Amino acid sequence: MATAAPHRRCRPATDLPDRRKTSDSSGAREQHRQAWRGRVKRVHAIETIGLTKCYGQSGLVGSLLTRVRASTSPPIRALESLDIAVREGEVFGFLGPNGSGKSTTIRLLLGFLHPTAGRARVLGLDTVRDSVTIRRRLGYLPSGIALYDTLTGEQLLDYLGELSGRPASRRVELCRRLELSARTLKRLVRDYSRGMRQKVGIVQALQHDPELAILDEPTEGLDPLMQRAFYEILDTLKAEGRTIFFSSHVLSEVERVCDRVAIVREGRLVALEETAGLLARRKRNITMRFTGPPPRLEDVSGITNVEHGDGYVTCRVEGSVRPFLAAIAEAAVVDLTIEPARLEEAFLEFYDEAT
Amino acid sequence: MNGALLRHTLRLQRTKLAIVSIALTVWGFLPPVIYARFGSQFKALMESGIMPEQFVRFGGGDVFSLSGSIALGFIHPIAIILTSVFAVGFSASAVAGERQRGTLEVALARPISRRALYLSLLAASFGFIAISIAALLAGSVSGATFAGVVKELAFRNLPLLWLNSVLLFGAFAAIALAASISFDRLTPALGVTLGIVIAMYVLEVLGSLWPAAEMVQPYSLFHYLKAKAILTGFVAPFDMVVLSSVILIAMVWALVVFPRRDLAAPS
Repeated sequence: MATAAPHRRCRPATDLPDRRKTSDSSGAREQHRQAWRGRVKRVHAIETIGLTKCYGQSGLVGSLLTRVRASTSPPIRALESLDIAVREGEVFGFLGPNGSGKSTTIRLLLGFLHPTAGRARVLGLDTVRDSVTIRRRLGYLPSGIALYDTLTGEQLLDYLGELSGRPASRRVELCRRLELSARTLKRLVRDYSRGMRQKVGIVQALQHDPELAILDEPTEGLDPLMQRAFYEILDTLKAEGRTIFFSSHVLSEVERVCDRVAIVREGRLVALEETAGLLARRKRNITMRFTGPPPRLEDVSGITNVEHGDGYVTCRVEGSVRPFLAAIAEAAVVDLTIEPARLEEAFLEFYDEAT
Repeated sequence: MNGALLRHTLRLQRTKLAIVSIALTVWGFLPPVIYARFGSQFKALMESGIMPEQFVRFGGGDVFSLSGSIALGFIHPIAIILTSVFAVGFSASAVAGERQRGTLEVALARPISRRALYLSLLAASFGFIAISIAALLAGSVSGATFAGVVKELAFRNLPLLWLNSVLLFGAFAAIALAASISFDRLTPALGVTLGIVIAMYVLEVLGSLWPAAEMVQPYSLFHYLKAKAILTGFVAPFDMVVLSSVILIAMVWALVVFPRRDLAAPS
């Protein structure tokens, strides 16, 4: 994920209106907080509470530079009080436009960045205090991964495997599924295409069979066949109980692979829901052709945007389609098209409402 | 320190290390030969008063003695440039360069602390410098042997000269690595380090050529390389302490600042 430069000025969290639309009830939030304090058994692979990141305010150099630049370039709040809990064994989609805070969140989870406020736990460990231990148990694929060009694919995987300190037990299987032949791995990385690099990136992230995989735009550069192979790998990992934190702005793939989705915008959590629930609540676009008098749809519950044409009617249905079906029961329908709900529309709706 | 990272770094740099070592051996070979062939003529020239004495005692070396000629080889810009390939070039790019390319986050996504990463790179840097200086010394001894003046050389002093030189370039490497962990991009890290090295070299040369500017020499780390004095049997504990202190200060800076730095996504 190529993070665009954050552009929000840093201001106190209390100044900001709470626009979050999460399915977490207050009870769930309290359970989340108790889990944090260790009072209940850990069920979350990733937990963040009030995670906030303000660029230019941490570290000796950062704070010194911030003071020098304060008058002309105030600090920027890239992430604002993020509360998420990723359950163990789920595929969790993390969505948002460029510059929304996805990369910042991932880098906070990996310990590359230090939170300005709030806390995060990965696999029950604190991301600041136990960063090295956490990284022993996870796999990470950065967006647009950079590799050592002077090594062969095999040397690179050997080296990164050695750094991981765990046997590369999944490498053979991953290479087979992603069609990375032994001959290909003998070539220098500098000769690889973008798709090949991405495949090597996926293998390096998963070859040591991590408990948690953090994948930042993993299908970037993969052709449709390889994308499908990658989704099958995710299915296998999920079936084996591995947790996957999946950042993307390709909505169709999030819809395909994720159990739950969080949507962030301008560093704030806009939505956190089951993917199926999000889709179920989507408005469906309907086009219906008929003979005879048109059915009366204007007053039917859940139906909006009704437009009549010559022998056809279009409308949108939200929620259950039963009232709609009841309303057209008497009509002489000759053709009916219901466009499936797309996550993209859900995403855009949340995006619009949060604006 | 991380063994896998250290081995990987050594493997990536081995060709460059071989080239630099050969070049330093060849360069080290020349001053003793020049001394053996032209030393007496240079001495006569100096004693004639045509040239100011400072010009033939450049940077603490000379061409009237074997120890002076070897010292001249150590302080000469060619030796400094070649040794700086690792002391400055490698060290300044070790973190900032990898940050800029994006490869650092791939390594740091593994269970390696930033301190371990830094110490591994510092160890690699010192290793490269140690090998480079050993090559320069080997060249000097070979040159002295070839020119038939090796009997003038006290071999027991060579390890101390090697140590003094390693500490000097190690100090520059520590400064370069401290700059490297402090910046997100290679250019400022390299620029700061090169600026320091060049400024210190200018101070040393200025002080050695112009008696009125001698007082600026202690501000240059090059002043604490006592090659000729060591080869003639002088032990330089103060110089070693100064160079070691610089290394220590740079290390403390890096070990404190690096783990606290934010590593934002490479742009």
